[in-house]
Amino acid sequence: MALLQVQNLSKRYDKEKRVLSDINLEVRKGEFVSIIGPSGAGKSTFLRCINRMIDTSEGEIHFDDVDVMALSKRELRKHRTKIGMIFQHYNLVSRLTVIENVLHGRFGYKSTWQGILGRFTEEEKLQAFNLLKKLGMEEHAYKRCDQLSGGQKQRVGIARALIQSPKLLLCDEPIASLDPNASKVIMDHLQTISKELDITCIVNLHQVDVAKKYSDRIIGLNSGRVVYDGTSTELTSSAIHTIYGSEAGELIME
Amino acid sequence: MTLAKSDLLFDLKRNHAGKIKIKAWNKSQVVMAGTFVMLLLLTVYGFLTFDYKGISMIEATAATLHNVKLMFLQPVLSHFSLAEAMYQLSLTMGLAFLSTILGALLSVVIALFAAKNLAPKAVSNAIIVMVAFIRAVPTVLWVLIFAIAAGLGSEAAIIGMVFHTIAFLVKAYAESFEELDEGNLEALRASGASWWHIVIHAVLPSTVTSLLSWTFLRFETNFTVAVAMGAAAGAGGIGFELFMASGFYFDLREVGFITYAILLVAIGLELLSTQLKTRYLKSSAAN
Repeated sequence: MALLQVQNLSKRYDKEKRVLSDINLEVRKGEFVSIIGPSGAGKSTFLRCINRMIDTSEGEIHFDDVDVMALSKRELRKHRTKIGMIFQHYNLVSRLTVIENVLHGRFGYKSTWQGILGRFTEEEKLQAFNLLKKLGMEEHAYKRCDQLSGGQKQRVGIARALIQSPKLLLCDEPIASLDPNASKVIMDHLQTISKELDITCIVNLHQVDVAKKYSDRIIGLNSGRVVYDGTSTELTSSAIHTIYGSEAGELIME
Repeated sequence: MTLAKSDLLFDLKRNHAGKIKIKAWNKSQVVMAGTFVMLLLLTVYGFLTFDYKGISMIEATAATLHNVKLMFLQPVLSHFSLAEAMYQLSLTMGLAFLSTILGALLSVVIALFAAKNLAPKAVSNAIIVMVAFIRAVPTVLWVLIFAIAAGLGSEAAIIGMVFHTIAFLVKAYAESFEELDEGNLEALRASGASWWHIVIHAVLPSTVTSLLSWTFLRFETNFTVAVAMGAAAGAGGIGFELFMASGFYFDLREVGFITYAILLVAIGLELLSTQLKTRYLKSSAAN
């Protein structure tokens, strides 16, 4: 049984232009999927449709046997706790400490008042420290986030997503603002999460070589359509050119 | 010969004397120039047609200078003691403080619903229009309006000042909230956090510096407004003493003293707020 099923998904912002059209795919538990494609292909929109940060126009999404389109506001909150999200610009509250930012991932499980008062249990705090330790960030726990480097911030972002105990991680260009070294650290962590914790990762990427190296499966998007869906080994250079709509030999690759 | 050629090449414009024009007059410049000329003409016309009622310019100037000298070079207290003056000043400060604190607390809540990134568009627009209307009416008028219900005095002054403070701070706070990085909100929303969680743990911590600096600014404004309210609405404090000294006793030297006292407090507040900002707010941002 697939963890995520997407059927005939379409999204349009205005009447003429479709951002996503007729997307069908299934993602298994623990799978590491990369989505590649040119800017404006609809990669970010697709990710945000899965946790309904963006409402879809047509089609169905089933996640963990739940019809995502039919969720009420309260159910949607619960749905979102099962999906962690990681962003290109980390999106941490920079004036707060690392540990506070990690604990922000628990709000989905809190009642309004518990959340407002910031009441976290000792287990949750312990879990937050454990996650930071796993990501090699334990000595920074009490630092403010604006003192961290980009790679460190992204690791805090990952910890915040993992403390949700998610079944799926959506990563929206997690390494687009990072140097090659920090990028490797982040991608290695994501791979470990997928392999060891059996958490499905769907990662939007601009770097084709990175996608090939880390993913079990690659999905190519162009103008809102799936133009490639296969394993990373099968991704030939002509397939890459179809995805990016470019002439052969025009792309910068390793 | 060469010049004539370049005329054709560049589509040059020449004035009537045959010189090449370098200014392109557009509509707004013409309107601006026209306005200045009109204002100048009106000023000249005004001075020519004033009804001077037989006042000698020289005598009048001398008398004014004498009054200014009395006020600012020989200030003295004659109808009340220094201690009393300090007490009255603290009353005025109290008016300003109370109206700022009450206004600020209410404004934070209202501003959350006025910020476009936090509230539905209709709600936010409704609040923005309402506070714009309230701000358009001067504080004194609001105080006098509330005086109908509360009677002239400090109660009406506080209500009126709180009213105007809210109108000002809601706009300022809402704009601070709107400057917040959308990604911050998105990240928490995506994790299943509710609206109040996002407000308390992301919006307020990120904007607290600018909220405080707007509040200080409003406190300074409210102090001067409180002086005026003492005089105009009988709210008490140093403003009322100023009104008595000038309008009742015609004691210019006392007016001078009170003016200095108010000025000193205003400067003190200004220094204090700058100090607080540089020492605590900025350094916490850099930590």
